[in-house]
Amino acid sequence: MLVEDDAGTADFVSRGLEEQGYVVDRAAAGRDGLFLATDGGHDCVILDRMLPGLDGMGVRAAMRAAGIATPVLMLSALGSTEDRVAGLTRGADDYLTKPFAFAELLARVRLLIRRGGAAATAAAPQTVLRCGDLEMDLLARRTRRAGRSIDLQPREFRLLEFLLRHVDQVVTRTMLLEGVWDYHFDPGTNVIDVHVSRLRKKVDEGFDRPLLHTVRGAGYRLGQEP
Amino acid sequence: MFRSTVFRFAALVFVLQLAAAAALLFGTAALVRGQVTAEADRAAAALMAELRAVRAAGGADALAREVAARAGGGPPPRAVLLLVDRNGTRVAGNLDAWPPSVVAGGGTRNALLYRTGHAAPEAMRVGAAALPDGGRLLAGAVTEGEARALRRLEEATGLALTLALAFAAVAAWASARLIVARLEGTLAALDGVAAGDLGRRVAPDAARDSFADLGRAVNGALDRVDTLVTELRVATDALAHDLKSPLTRMRAALERAASKAGSVEALDRALVEADRLMAVVQTALGISRAEAGIGRENFAEADLGLHMADMAEIYAPLAEETGRTVLFEAAEGPVVARVHRELLAQAIGNLIDNALKYGGGPITLSLAGRVDGVRLSVADRGPGIPADRRHQALRRFGRLDEARGGDGAGLGLALAAAVARLHGGALVLGDAAPGLLVTMDLPR
Repeated sequence: MLVEDDAGTADFVSRGLEEQGYVVDRAAAGRDGLFLATDGGHDCVILDRMLPGLDGMGVRAAMRAAGIATPVLMLSALGSTEDRVAGLTRGADDYLTKPFAFAELLARVRLLIRRGGAAATAAAPQTVLRCGDLEMDLLARRTRRAGRSIDLQPREFRLLEFLLRHVDQVVTRTMLLEGVWDYHFDPGTNVIDVHVSRLRKKVDEGFDRPLLHTVRGAGYRLGQEP
Repeated sequence: MFRSTVFRFAALVFVLQLAAAAALLFGTAALVRGQVTAEADRAAAALMAELRAVRAAGGADALAREVAARAGGGPPPRAVLLLVDRNGTRVAGNLDAWPPSVVAGGGTRNALLYRTGHAAPEAMRVGAAALPDGGRLLAGAVTEGEARALRRLEEATGLALTLALAFAAVAAWASARLIVARLEGTLAALDGVAAGDLGRRVAPDAARDSFADLGRAVNGALDRVDTLVTELRVATDALAHDLKSPLTRMRAALERAASKAGSVEALDRALVEADRLMAVVQTALGISRAEAGIGRENFAEADLGLHMADMAEIYAPLAEETGRTVLFEAAEGPVVARVHRELLAQAIGNLIDNALKYGGGPITLSLAGRVDGVRLSVADRGPGIPADRRHQALRRFGRLDEARGGDGAGLGLALAAAVARLHGGALVLGDAAPGLLVTMDLPR
């Protein structure tokens, strides 16, 4: 579900999500959004923070108070890490500042939906992560592909671990910086790309099927499908 | 008009001037009159004492003779004398009859009487005493000369007061004019600025007074406004310029994509340019927010050593791509300070990014705890920035070399400086001999 008062942004986001095969309910005001959300059945709620009447924060708080656990992605035009931090501490599951790239939004929505599903099944903590013939032992801190050991530096290990935890999902550069180093700033140039390309060399070089893919205009994806 | 400060000031000057003149003139007159009266009283009293002594020694006849003799011409020369017997009949003296207003033992008083043989009445001070045989003796001194002088003085006082009135009015008007005139230059300059001439200034004033201070203060404020406006204009121009190039490239890329030839690659270009535009806008917003002090509520204690190690780790691979290195020289033990983690990371990231783009050789990060704060620094071995251009480098959109700054918006250093100020610290550009040394001092 998308709650956004700016029609242009709402059109652009909902069209993009529909192209990706999602069904999008739309609301232009906080109260309508809350009404739709209480109906339940949404996998994810995208909430604009600045809404006429009841604002995004209020909608989210009301949802949680009503026991609706649907993951929330908060959008804001205020645009700074301040709002990001405030949004997360007040219980948004993720936060995105305008202007945003649609790919970033899509990647985060997918992550939230996946996470929501995982939480529901309450999987036991994994000690071994796999993708195809790539295998990572978190306890022994060893990585192997097709039986061959891959020697990774600590930061490369963490990077690959993050990618393995999000197999088949698109992860953006900012998501990598957040997930691996826990920073939210914009490192500029192609800092993250270099990290990934080094990892790719170690993971994919010498193998027929590449596992680490670049997703145009969005980021990266680890998976067996090309 | 009565609420006007200048008018009130003028009125005050006028009243005080007048009061001063009146006090001077009336004071003088009163003093002179007092002096004259006192002298005449003394003369009258002395005369009376002498005559009583004569009577005590020689009796009534001796007194009568003495009075007659002295009344003819003194001493004292201007004596007023009259001796009457118990019936009030004149015995001797230079008054024709006893003045009814003078009472024996009533003290000295002013009188206006005709002396024998004088055509006009004269002012005098007279006193009287009763004699043992029932007669009375009047003794006094003529003060007509002094009284005339006093009258003159009073006339002159009146005239002087009229003059003083005029002078006071002139003084009031002149002092008011002076104030207005001293303010006129400042007002004219401010009006000029308000009308759009930002270059107008108050003419320099050699006087060391409040008006000169006002002029200087106004000029200082106007200079600051001028600097800000210029900076803003430069920044806006630069922003427009910086946004224009990626927009142009994006447009070209989209055009190529629209024509289908190599559309995927062209769209990639367009996306890169869009990201760059977003980054420029984001950074500009970040600077404004840091300048406005937004973010202090998110300060938290952090070990900056871990921070710097993270930064070195994040940027190291990128540096190695071009055969360079990022080294972190850690301080001994943890260096803890209250910082905004994300903004500080962004600032250090910008400094490393700059060193990668414009500097050369190995990049050294260092951290040192000091007594009153911490010092972070980023140094490279490149060409550095000459001392006279460092100020420009710290300005928003202050790119030093258009040719080199292809994709930088010239905001990196400005953001780092803004972040340092947000923490109550400062960013200083120095010489790493060779290379650029950027130090950021933060309070603990």
